[in-house]
Amino acid sequence: MKNVRKLVLASFMLALIFSIAPVVLAQDGIETVCLVTDIGQIDDGTFNQFAHEGAIAVTEDYDLDYTFIETQAEADYETNINTCVEEGFDVILTIGFMIADATWDAAVANPDVFFVGVDQFVGDQTDEDGNVTEEAPENYVGIQFREDQAGFLAGALAALMTENDIVAGVYGVEIPPVKKFRNGFENGAQYINPDITLLGVYIDDFVAPDRGASAAEQFIGEGADVIFGAGGQTGSGGITAAAQQDVYVIGVDQDEYLSTFRDGETPGAEYIISSAMKRVDQGVYDMVAALAEGDMDGFPGGGVYVMDATLGGVGLAEPHDADVPEEILAQLEDIFNMMAEGELDSGVDPITGDMLEAE
Amino acid sequence: MTTISETYPTDVPVQRFKLTRKRVLALVLIAIAIGMLVLGNRSLTSDVVTTLTLVEPGTATALPAIEVPTLAYMNITALIFLGVGALAIFNPPQIHRYVDGLLIFAGVIFIPTILIVAAAGNSTNITTMMAESLRLATPIAIGAIAGLWCERSGVVNIAIEGMMLFGACFGFSTLFFLQDVFPPNQISIAMFLAVIVAVIAGGLAALLHAWLSITFATDQIVSGTVINILAVGVTSFWRREFLLSNQGGIEKLPEIPIPILKDIPIVGDALFSGQPIFYTMFFIIIISHIVLFYTRWGLRTRAVGEEPGAADTLGINVNSMRWRNVLIGGMIAGLAGAWFSLEVTGTFSNGMTRGAGFIALAALIFGKWTPFGAFAGALLFGFSDALGTRFQIIGVAVPVQFLQMVPYIVTIIVLAGLVGRSLAPKAVGEPYKKD
Repeated sequence: MKNVRKLVLASFMLALIFSIAPVVLAQDGIETVCLVTDIGQIDDGTFNQFAHEGAIAVTEDYDLDYTFIETQAEADYETNINTCVEEGFDVILTIGFMIADATWDAAVANPDVFFVGVDQFVGDQTDEDGNVTEEAPENYVGIQFREDQAGFLAGALAALMTENDIVAGVYGVEIPPVKKFRNGFENGAQYINPDITLLGVYIDDFVAPDRGASAAEQFIGEGADVIFGAGGQTGSGGITAAAQQDVYVIGVDQDEYLSTFRDGETPGAEYIISSAMKRVDQGVYDMVAALAEGDMDGFPGGGVYVMDATLGGVGLAEPHDADVPEEILAQLEDIFNMMAEGELDSGVDPITGDMLEAE
Repeated sequence: MTTISETYPTDVPVQRFKLTRKRVLALVLIAIAIGMLVLGNRSLTSDVVTTLTLVEPGTATALPAIEVPTLAYMNITALIFLGVGALAIFNPPQIHRYVDGLLIFAGVIFIPTILIVAAAGNSTNITTMMAESLRLATPIAIGAIAGLWCERSGVVNIAIEGMMLFGACFGFSTLFFLQDVFPPNQISIAMFLAVIVAVIAGGLAALLHAWLSITFATDQIVSGTVINILAVGVTSFWRREFLLSNQGGIEKLPEIPIPILKDIPIVGDALFSGQPIFYTMFFIIIISHIVLFYTRWGLRTRAVGEEPGAADTLGINVNSMRWRNVLIGGMIAGLAGAWFSLEVTGTFSNGMTRGAGFIALAALIFGKWTPFGAFAGALLFGFSDALGTRFQIIGVAVPVQFLQMVPYIVTIIVLAGLVGRSLAPKAVGEPYKKD
């Protein structure tokens, strides 16, 4: 009996701690922000850079201190996060799907520090029967994007622009965000033209521009005339190589006309017809701003913040110097609106990135 | 000389069932042949064809596609493998001098077989496949030649990777800052300067290596490791301080098609419409071969790499010879680095050489420390790399991760089975101290 009483008491205390924890958290004002990149760099022209820019914007607007660490190897994820923790930062932004596990562990170990993970899924862990095995830490939010919707739009654009009816994609490591882009792209292209030939390759490295370029060359050899690059610098390497061979290309994450093609100064910039954007900057901005204002309703601790077409979190970049006909832009606008209103589905599982079964 | 009689048992009686390297390889061939016969005849019908297209990008001259009946091709290849395997196992005295040649022949035909079998019922463009294999082989081949110069003179150079990285970083930076200085019509001058800076950067790293490992007789592996780590640090620091604030790319080195030659069917596009560093690769390989084997310099280089004591007795200054060769090797490695930033990508990113320097060393060993052998090794790695991508394009129904292993599996089979024993220069790795 004694043991049972102890157990009841202990669980009461645990419940008490959990119920007041968010209140305690909310009272902390935040002053400092630290960003840890995925393998890749803050000028990589894709999502690390975009997150960096969002972090700069929000820290300037709310007068916060900001620093960043560029991760060089997977083994360093934990070290880099812990460095930020030990230096006493209040908010730690971790960028990328692959750093998620390290972030989860750090969030559990440091309940008084806020963690925001881009491209990460946060939720209670469950076993096969649906019982909760581990509760998600309340100080940790994952920002998720509907890359499949952005990819769908890019695929539709590619299918409308191709003359050979062959479109291709240079993708990075096969992880959910990349799969969502690819499968979305392929569904989008088939939505316009069910008979289109789809080529694509996953490259097991986000920082191998030369391999991306080589894959793009092979696609051009197979007759592809629109190439989508979705894989950090690997993808950027693919589209710069293709654009310099006068093939239409589509960038990813942010408007690569501005980043990879240096605001149109890099040769081939007239061939980038758009980029499948995910507004990483806006997601980072929203989360840090919510914390800075002490608005805990805007910070879904232990859950995800989903940026989709409805929120304007994903979409296509403008064509800049490329010659994309008005009617194609209008058609894409219609597709975007249909997705934003939920009338059109990308056909991709928004968590795993797998293709959904055709109904 | 004892080693030779072990591998080529010409003057000793043949031991019938000793499990030699050749017999193991023969067993592997037979296993592959049986696998091909069984799986092929079970899963393919005789009307399946593999279409090899020869379309050259950018040209309108589409050559007729070659249609290979996949099943027949597989069966013929399997029979050849069975035959070669059987001959290699029983190794009758009349033919054993040809066995090595037969095994190499089997290895060579195995390479297109992978592609043809994978593309069953599909079409695949072999022109771009060849062009890409050569392209991806370029940094590996140049890096291997860099290693060759060092190692032939008796200095281990595992710092090729670091030297490449220095070359990639500083070559890129030069063009990056000069592109606004030079008017657009003179950009080629800036490009030339950028390549020169890359070569010098590699050379400077090599001077450090020579200084540590020759003058101070530091362990050559340690010295090389130091340079590799230093290169990662220095170039990342440089990038963060000076390149990050003005982000963006550069114009890549131009393609220079050679008139007439580039119109040769099939190989013209792969060989004669490349970029400058690609052409330089062939030049370097040939020059290295001539210098190493037909000049006094080459003879002395090999002498200090094999028997530095004897060379010294004959009045050759061993350490000076080594200094000069390491410097040349470093400069060549710098050029290999320029391939990454200036020729293919037009950007610089941290650690962008991603291990090519180490693969170059493997190619060097594969090629038994000869220029053309190293080039063959580099081609094999380039081909396997291109093949991993090609498999995905064809849509082989195997998990991506497995396909990405293919290059390495091919490497292991070839290194272990075909190449056999590869002997390094005798004095490699040993600092020379006059008594």
